[in-house]
Amino acid sequence: MSANYNVIGRSVPRIDGPEKVTGAAKYTGDLKFPNMLFGKILTSPHAHARIISIDTSEAEKLPGVKAVITHKDVPTLKYGLSPARWDENIFCSDKVRFVGDKVAAVACLDEDTCYKALKLIKVEFEELPAVLDFLHAMDEGQPLVHEEYERNINTEIHQEFGDVEKALAEAHHVRSDTFVGQRTYQSPIEPHSAISMWEGEKLTIYSSTQSPHYFQHYIAREFGMPMGDVRIIKPYLGGGFGGKLEPTGLEFAGAVLAKLTGRPVRTFYDRAEMFAHNRGRHAQHMEITTGVDKDGKILAVKANFIMDGGAYTSLGIASAYYAGALLPMTYEFDNYQFDMFRVYTNLPACGAQRGHGAPQPKYAFESHLDNVAADLGIDPMDIRIINARRPDTVTPNDFKVNSCKMRECLERARVISDWDEKKKNLPHGRGIGVATGSFVTGAGYPIYRTDLPHAAAFIKVHEDGTAATLYTGSVDLGQGSDTVLCQMAAEAMGYRYEQMKIVAADTEITPLDFGAYASRQTYMSGAAVKQAGEEVRKQVLDMASSMLNLPVDDLDCEDGIVFSKSREGKSLTFQEVARKHFVLKGPLLGKGAYTPPKLGGSFKGAAVGTSPAYSFGAQVGEVSIDKETGEITVVGIWDVHDCGKVINPRLLHGQVHGALYMGMGESVWEEVLFDDKGRIKNAELANYRVLTAMDMPPIQSEVVDSYEPSGPWGVKEIGEGATNPTLGMFSNAIFDAMGVRVNSLPLTYEKVWRALKEKREREAAEKA
Amino acid sequence: MYMPDFEYHTPRTLSEACALLAELGEKATVLAGGTDILHKMKVGKLAPEHLVSLKNLDEIREIRHEAGRGIVIGALTNHAAIYNSPLLQERYLSLPMAAHTMASTQICNLGTVGGNIVNGVPSADLPPILIALQATIRLVSASGERSMALEDFFCGAAETVIAPGELLTEITIPDQETTGSTYIKFGLRRSGALAVTGVAVSVCVEGDKLRDARIVLASAAPTVMRATAAEDFLRGRTISDEALAEAGTLAAAASRPRDSIRGSAEYRKNLAEVLTKRALRKAIDEGHV
Ligand SMILES: Cc1cc2nc3c(=O)[nH]c(=O)nc-3n(C[C@H](O)[C@H](O)[C@H](O)COP(=O)(O)OP(=O)(O)OC[C@H]3O[C@@H](n4cnc5c(N)ncnc54)[C@H](O)[C@@H]3O)c2cc1C
Repeated sequence: MSANYNVIGRSVPRIDGPEKVTGAAKYTGDLKFPNMLFGKILTSPHAHARIISIDTSEAEKLPGVKAVITHKDVPTLKYGLSPARWDENIFCSDKVRFVGDKVAAVACLDEDTCYKALKLIKVEFEELPAVLDFLHAMDEGQPLVHEEYERNINTEIHQEFGDVEKALAEAHHVRSDTFVGQRTYQSPIEPHSAISMWEGEKLTIYSSTQSPHYFQHYIAREFGMPMGDVRIIKPYLGGGFGGKLEPTGLEFAGAVLAKLTGRPVRTFYDRAEMFAHNRGRHAQHMEITTGVDKDGKILAVKANFIMDGGAYTSLGIASAYYAGALLPMTYEFDNYQFDMFRVYTNLPACGAQRGHGAPQPKYAFESHLDNVAADLGIDPMDIRIINARRPDTVTPNDFKVNSCKMRECLERARVISDWDEKKKNLPHGRGIGVATGSFVTGAGYPIYRTDLPHAAAFIKVHEDGTAATLYTGSVDLGQGSDTVLCQMAAEAMGYRYEQMKIVAADTEITPLDFGAYASRQTYMSGAAVKQAGEEVRKQVLDMASSMLNLPVDDLDCEDGIVFSKSREGKSLTFQEVARKHFVLKGPLLGKGAYTPPKLGGSFKGAAVGTSPAYSFGAQVGEVSIDKETGEITVVGIWDVHDCGKVINPRLLHGQVHGALYMGMGESVWEEVLFDDKGRIKNAELANYRVLTAMDMPPIQSEVVDSYEPSGPWGVKEIGEGATNPTLGMFSNAIFDAMGVRVNSLPLTYEKVWRALKEKREREAAEKA
Repeated sequence: MYMPDFEYHTPRTLSEACALLAELGEKATVLAGGTDILHKMKVGKLAPEHLVSLKNLDEIREIRHEAGRGIVIGALTNHAAIYNSPLLQERYLSLPMAAHTMASTQICNLGTVGGNIVNGVPSADLPPILIALQATIRLVSASGERSMALEDFFCGAAETVIAPGELLTEITIPDQETTGSTYIKFGLRRSGALAVTGVAVSVCVEGDKLRDARIVLASAAPTVMRATAAEDFLRGRTISDEALAEAGTLAAAASRPRDSIRGSAEYRKNLAEVLTKRALRKAIDEGHV
């Protein structure tokens, strides 16, 4: 598939680059409107408490306060992201369920007055016993976070494919291990904010959102409005990673405050409030059992997980299903059992974080697989190659895999990391580990039930043909989708990238798109854009055909030139043809839409994890460990991905670096910590340790030649897939360096030091 | 974030500042770079009625050598000025290197050595190396002034001997015979990390012996502390890996760390032991680094 492309496959400069690097780019929090008020939300200081009374009278009297609202002033309809469990209210009315739960809000002339007003709201609470330990949330006698959910069970999953017990009974070797994953938070650089305003019955919200469409849908639903009266605009966005996918409360509170005051209201979170709103990675307890034959071929896998959901569902049902659904992706086996409880606790709600559901189970499974390999005396690379998934296969849970170069990724990673040499010769304290990952290229089904297409696009060629504007509802949150989609539009049209403009993510102007999550946009939005571009190209060729008096079949269009395939020299510029089209036929427009085919099996939860295509990747990492302190130095990381056709190599490798960066943080450095009252101890960036540029190791990112037949130009996912192997890769590299396994994330220096110390003590005791 | 209301003063001279502080008494808090204090105000730990900013006091913002005294560092010198100072780099590179481990460029352009000292927390990065280099400080008020060894300034967790109305004006590193010094900070990432434990040492090597050594631990007790038993053990001793390891053991034994968000007491004791022996070796072999 080495067709000649003019625009795709090139590292063109980012379309938003100059604005961003000069600081000219305006994010939601930078926007100002005449008469704009500032709004802040009052949150609960208790993990679990009954609200006895709320008295806002003092706050209302404070000069500069324009409105104070509580549950009495807002719709009581419960909302959420996963329709099966809408369990959140705009403000709590009966009780609060975590430190940070929303109780009231104020709108004031300035920010300072907001804080003073919040202090004047008197809320009388009756503290209740709280559920803080998710492993005991289901125990008899525990308080209930939501009265209607018995034993605090939010989601319960029991799936079995094939005959697991039989396969385990027949296996040459069976092993079980238990691992624990920690809570992490996405920590996007831009704090959430929303500016809400009304013109009559129409509500407009500028919002830092990953999905204007879902916002529009949920906001319209909450206020009982037609979607057409709700306009969501996403200005520049400073990262989301899953944490900005759903309504945050800022836009609900802001909309009500704006309505009451008749003025625009800007509501926003600071860093600590972002941590409390959360929707980051779930903590998770993971038991895994695997049976293999004597060569290490996997026969059956049993996964038994418990997840800490926090106080609300968010997208957590999907997270729970994903945790098991994506486990059988990179290795082939027929017998698979997955059991899961996602439980409620009185802690901030967890949701989707980059790699949604997959990274921690991958950590558990990849660590476990290395243990199995060690038991059998098989090289970790070999056991993965033996089991690697092949193209055109179906997973035990009915996911159809088209393109798949899992094995090639592993083999290439083996070469570029110098695996065999290092495996033999690295000294004690140095280690090398490998892990694999796979991820969906967009979800097969929308988050709420609808038969709308998942993506749509328009292209308008300007009247003189010197520019074309792509209209898309997709969201560039920093990953570069505006750039990539403009490349795709230009390629499909036969136009030039440099002449492309883009208008994105404004529900009143741009066509429907579900937004930036599940690594869907290059593929799904791209499919719609390609169709729109081809429609433009067809009209251009038709027009040129009559201008040149040549049959359409003889014409082609590349890089802004329409030319005859058979007669050299017969050509026109795209520009003049487009202009002629406008003169004779009116606006030159193209449109496209994408709906995925029907995917997946028919068992309960079969939809989660379905996707038209899956990426695959292998990561090798080398670490050096200071035996006296446990300090981990990352010597190098090699990532090889099968992500289909690459549209923009530089942006692609940027995604690998970024995903790896987040995976690294989760592996060793990041953890949200709580005190015994359920308060976050490190809701800031000094002790919640996201890594710095200084911490990044040399990274070699490569792709294998790959083409996904179902995707536009053969593309697949890259944005999240490279997070999935990282945690397991670190675990395995550390294991290789020290000969001991740390069974819980993050694999901190102290835990590594302790494991080494205990090993020394054990060995000394054995000698004695 | 919330910021309580306060009155803001910007005296133009040191004497004006002292007079103002005397007049306002306990109601006033001194503001230098603000990197500690503004944070405390925002999280509600501090709500001073008056903030007296030292920003105009250029007279205490320079680094100079004074014959017979040593190197004098004005209390308002920021961390970047310390690590960029040719004078310090040439004479005691260990101090610029310690400053360079701190925070981020933005914070280093604001945070001052005076603030780092007066803030009084045991995790501060500059006091250990300054104490290892035998620094003294000068405190000035409307009613007079006093000087003392920096190590005598700290008296408890975030407690110092400074009195209301007093300003720290300068830190002096006396001319000395030490042959080497260094600060090793153990942080949990490569930049922007606070010390889990830190160890500063200075040594005076004579032939194959240590004539003297100072060992100062950060984040190992409620205050920055000297490990005197380890120092006594080393004094006059022949240099060997075993002796340095023993000094580490003694320093760790004297340390009194607590469990914290950055590490357990047990881990921090271990770090004190390991870092002490490493810092000593480095200062012995490499000089002031
Ligand atoms: C993001 C971040 C990272 C940080 N990282 C580090 C780090 O790695 N290592 C570290 O040690 N610290 C670190 N700090 C803490 C802080 O930056 C330093 O302690 C800094 O040196 C404080 O100096 P300042 O001038 O900002 O002090 P201020 O905040 O202005 O004052 C601190 C205290 O000292 C008093 N004070 C200041 N100057 C005088 C004076 N001349 N006379 C009398 N009283 C005075 C003030 O009244 C106040 O009580 C960090 C802080 C932040 C915000």
